[in-house]
Amino acid sequence: MELTLNVNGREWRGDVPGRLILADLLRDRLHLTGTHLGCEQGVCGACTVLVDGEAVRSCLMLALQADGCSIRTVESLAPDGQLSRIQAAFLRHRALQCGFCTPGFLMSITELLDSGQRYNREELAEMLSGNVCRCTGYEPILDAVLECQD
Amino acid sequence: MPRLGLENSRLLITGNGSYLADLEFEGCVDVCFVRSPFPNAEIARVRPPVGSGLSGAELGIRPLQLESRGLVSVPWDPIAIHRVRYVGESVAVVWGKDRYEAEDAVDATEVDYDRLPDGIPVHPEAPDDVLFSTTFDSGGFEEASSAAHAVIEGSFKAARQSALPIECRGVAASHDSASGVTTVWTSTQIPHLVRKGIALGLGVDEDLIRVLVPHVGGGFGVKAQVFAEEIALAALTRRINRPVRWIEDRWENLVASAHAHDTGVTMRVAVARDGTFLGVDADVVADVGAYSVWPFSASLEPATAAASLFGPYAIRAIKYRARGIASHRCPVGAHRGVGINAGVYATERMVDTIAHELNIDPFDIRRLNAIRTMPCTTAAGRELDSGDYLGLLDRLASASAYQELRRSQRQSRQEHRLVGVGIGFFNEHSGSGPSDYRRRGVTTISGEDSARVVVTHEGRLQIYTSAAEAGQGHAETYRALAGRELDIAPEMIDVFEGDTDACPKGTGTFASRGGVGVIEAVVQALRKVAQLDIAPGTDVTHVHEAKQLYPSGAHLAVVEVDADTFVPRVVRYVAIEDCGTILHADIVDEQVRGGIANGVGCALLEEHRYSAEGQILTASLLDYLVPLVADIPHVELHHLTNPSPGTTLGSKGVGEAGTIGAIAAVSNAVADAVFPLGVRLTALPYSPTRISDGMPEALPDR
Repeated sequence: MELTLNVNGREWRGDVPGRLILADLLRDRLHLTGTHLGCEQGVCGACTVLVDGEAVRSCLMLALQADGCSIRTVESLAPDGQLSRIQAAFLRHRALQCGFCTPGFLMSITELLDSGQRYNREELAEMLSGNVCRCTGYEPILDAVLECQD
Repeated sequence: MPRLGLENSRLLITGNGSYLADLEFEGCVDVCFVRSPFPNAEIARVRPPVGSGLSGAELGIRPLQLESRGLVSVPWDPIAIHRVRYVGESVAVVWGKDRYEAEDAVDATEVDYDRLPDGIPVHPEAPDDVLFSTTFDSGGFEEASSAAHAVIEGSFKAARQSALPIECRGVAASHDSASGVTTVWTSTQIPHLVRKGIALGLGVDEDLIRVLVPHVGGGFGVKAQVFAEEIALAALTRRINRPVRWIEDRWENLVASAHAHDTGVTMRVAVARDGTFLGVDADVVADVGAYSVWPFSASLEPATAAASLFGPYAIRAIKYRARGIASHRCPVGAHRGVGINAGVYATERMVDTIAHELNIDPFDIRRLNAIRTMPCTTAAGRELDSGDYLGLLDRLASASAYQELRRSQRQSRQEHRLVGVGIGFFNEHSGSGPSDYRRRGVTTISGEDSARVVVTHEGRLQIYTSAAEAGQGHAETYRALAGRELDIAPEMIDVFEGDTDACPKGTGTFASRGGVGVIEAVVQALRKVAQLDIAPGTDVTHVHEAKQLYPSGAHLAVVEVDADTFVPRVVRYVAIEDCGTILHADIVDEQVRGGIANGVGCALLEEHRYSAEGQILTASLLDYLVPLVADIPHVELHHLTNPSPGTTLGSKGVGEAGTIGAIAAVSNAVADAVFPLGVRLTALPYSPTRISDGMPEALPDR
């Protein structure tokens, strides 16, 4: 089936099977492998991308459902090699170890930061409850987000 | 070749990592496994689609078997041929041009099973289902108990859990018929052992297998097993002569990788009137699942749990029996702390039980019984290398303002709030070496760790080790060390791990080997290079035979349980750890904090459950609960640094300490919080359901 979408500022047009999920389109067809699949059950959040600015689990969305949409993946955050503020803060706070959950966290956080709203630590803990990290104990992730809200 | 560059974190943070599923292979097919829906059945017939599937029998893998002391050796067909023994066990491999088509091939596979009745042994070689059994007796328990003020009994159960790295497992394989070499890419912690397991399964020389490890999205122990899928993909690529890959999904990961823990400990402790522990008699029973995991075997969980009982306490008499019992459940393997978690959890819950019975403060009874002289050999035969156990406890009391905590707890109780304080005091064995494995009768695991350091003609330093990075920051630690040892800039150092051709042979990454044997090998190799004036062309390999060391710690958790919903919440957490000399301050802290988060999950949330019919009920992350951001408290972390004489730099390893301490401290705190309700918690996790089921007034209604 015919599909047109915009990924990280570039238009992509192609023929895809109806059952193809968005994450597989991004990873296998567009070779944007920064979007990771951690559960395909909509829980771990590693596959989070922005669809028209909204954080979405790309494992639960069919590619065709994104027809006409603008998608942002982790690869869009440092387009010219210059790290975004949140990426730089992650490195500074050592908010990643194995790095597998990181792209999903970054996209969820990007949605929060783009909203311009400020949240306290407890609010952030609730808002980031859609992403699972098994390495860090979450504390440095929250520290990085709080720094970027300043 | 896997290279851990200076910019590794930057690669990962920009989405440019190369995890297993990110690798691309020309002409590769995606593989799926056809898995049994039944826990116990004979396989009558397996018919995968012609040209895109093979049964276990057609794949022709040799059964693997393990021998060690106390173990009943049972053959393991990586892809089942005659009988399935748990839901999720593979009976066939199928493939397609992508995962979607491979899953179609799963659906198209016809398998006829003949269900087997309950009550027949899981393995005919073990008629009583006991796969592993061991006993220990220091002598003196009977005398101790007859002289005791009381003999107090308790029984505690650690839940069946998953290590749960966010990246599931994954394997790719490719065969070069000209050289005869099969290359296997796998998300593993133990590349050389994987090579050995594959070579055995295929019946070929190890030199004909090369194992490569890409970026690994967390291991936490589950990737320290050699899995059926690794052997099957190597066999398949040789058979169909094209590259193959299998990316595990979370359902497979939860039902059919390896589970952990699931160990019960029943104890009798002889105590003096003043609370002195006189002797311990324990029975450890682990449900090890359907098979012995390779290469650790069914001994892994029960043996380490038993060895960990009453670890930091001065006890003159200890005896135990430990058994691993087969069941129609997923095999049990390693997870961060392994059986030490169950051993320390049961011990620390028992210590609190004794303190309650004798009306002694939980802190005071620990201080009274803590080992005071170091080094020492314990009644259980452990050779403790270093530590300051009273120092740990005293630092915990001052850092947490313990007396003040208890005062404020009494105040909270008057307000009918359910607030509890719990301590987790422990030591743990790390970095097991050749002598430790031989003592247990294990021959499959060498126990060696090694490092090779090369000075290139351009003056760059190359470090190759037998470890495998999965997020622990190995390269960062080696660069810092090399900087100190050789005064060489980090950007001049290249680090390589996870390549069985290029890296020296060794045991891999688990049990904090990185902070014990591997780091020792690196230091010794660096020092030899220094003696040779860092001359270009220098090429030094050091193989280290480590010996178990004993990191230690004391943790304290404050938990408040919601009086209406019974949801427990950790409101304060203080940890004092002693991993000896700190090699890299940030990395040590990260390991402890991450480990504590894992332990909070094990104490409060995580549990695999099976139905009476043997079906797993926790096959998704909606059913198997893991800790989220809001579940994890801020950790107030303090260090004692009592160097070990067992390593040149004095490090002891720190990968498991956080988890071990947290399970004990948090479970004790929840138990303490609900104690006034008459609830006595014994089986993990201490969830709202367990608390409400334990309410005395709830019993008559049921």
